[in-house]
Amino acid sequence: MNATSAPGTIESRDFVLICRNIHKRFDGRKVLDDVSFSIAKGAVLGLLGRNGAGKTTLMRILVGLLMPESGSATVLDEPALRMSDAAKTRLGYVPQKPESLNWMTVENMLQFVGSFYPRWDSEYMWNSLMRWNISPSQRLAKLSPGERQRVALIRVLASCPELLILDEPASALDPVARRDFLREIALRAGEAGTSVLFSTHIVSDLERIASHVCFLHEGKLLLDTAMDDLKETHVRLSVSREAAVGLSKPLPGEIARHRRPDGGMSIVLTRKDLTPWPAAATASGATFEAMNLEDLFIEITDHPGVAWYPR
Amino acid sequence: MESDELLIQPSSAEPIYRQIAQQLRRLIASGRLSPGADLPSVRDVAGRHAINPMTVSRAYGQLESEGLLERRRGKGMVVAALRGRAQSADRRLQQLQPQLDELARQARELGLPAESVLDRLRVLLETDQ
Repeated sequence: MNATSAPGTIESRDFVLICRNIHKRFDGRKVLDDVSFSIAKGAVLGLLGRNGAGKTTLMRILVGLLMPESGSATVLDEPALRMSDAAKTRLGYVPQKPESLNWMTVENMLQFVGSFYPRWDSEYMWNSLMRWNISPSQRLAKLSPGERQRVALIRVLASCPELLILDEPASALDPVARRDFLREIALRAGEAGTSVLFSTHIVSDLERIASHVCFLHEGKLLLDTAMDDLKETHVRLSVSREAAVGLSKPLPGEIARHRRPDGGMSIVLTRKDLTPWPAAATASGATFEAMNLEDLFIEITDHPGVAWYPR
Repeated sequence: MESDELLIQPSSAEPIYRQIAQQLRRLIASGRLSPGADLPSVRDVAGRHAINPMTVSRAYGQLESEGLLERRRGKGMVVAALRGRAQSADRRLQQLQPQLDELARQARELGLPAESVLDRLRVLLETDQ
């Protein structure tokens, strides 16, 4: 089962976000290339991609700040580009570099923004400011990047959104604040049923709290799967130079391969559920290695060009 | 039992729900968690380790279906009565099977003779930690 699988079999009301075949170009360069995925209620989807992969562009399209060239995004049952004010109060978005209302003090900004949200949680707001050592009378423009990011997170979490869209939310946070933030997100998803989409390149954050993970690479969505399944259904096969000769065709379930400097090969295999790995993969000279998320991400995104096959 | 006693390594190749389930199985098999012992709540474990509560629920659910844990009304999860007792040596050994398989596989890949691996293992087992 995959909470990000194509709906159609499942009622769309089980999803808080559905995007279909999104394309976007900047100056003729493809930034998003046919991106489709969905987020089920209560799911925490981690979007992993290198710098320039298109994560920020995708998120801006999803919150209606940018128009896609083609394709559609539906957020909380409304088209992203024409969301009603009511739907907007149920959506929380934190951009990578929050800069709005920078002339205000922390307290004034939070009170002002809070007045637009029917479910604004003042108690959470004050507790968080205290816990994160932020002076309410400080002007936003004077805050450090880490403090500014913390205020932006307090703002969005105090509004008690049903869907959170966070662009690199933890990049400027110190380890303690980051752990604190991850805990908050994890518990909200588990208890309040808050759905979350967050982009990051801090892979271990994603491994902690994400229920699902997507790889975005050069504008394409390469992988879209449940977090636990991912580790159980992918493996790296290290093949010696001698054994590589016998593997001139793709193996069943092969999704990536590259040649190593020593003449051997690395092959990434995937399987459905926990079915056995193909017999050809267990040939002598090949070793299996379980992979964590970072290994898999690098295997899939760090080897541009065509897969290499020995002749 | 306290949430802190679980060791969670998010960047391990082993999914977190399996890490939790495996540690609890060992604690129960060895009798260190005795029948009736309370488990920390899902919220507590998730909060302490900043992990997704669904992951913790999945681990607990798996052990519940194996009969090792049971849900008590108003008390949360506790170690189940019958099978919670320290198990026979055979059953406990069964818990180690995946690690033994892995060790055997790696030893073969390294071309190590069984004797030298067993000697080293014996030293490790007989050394007090």
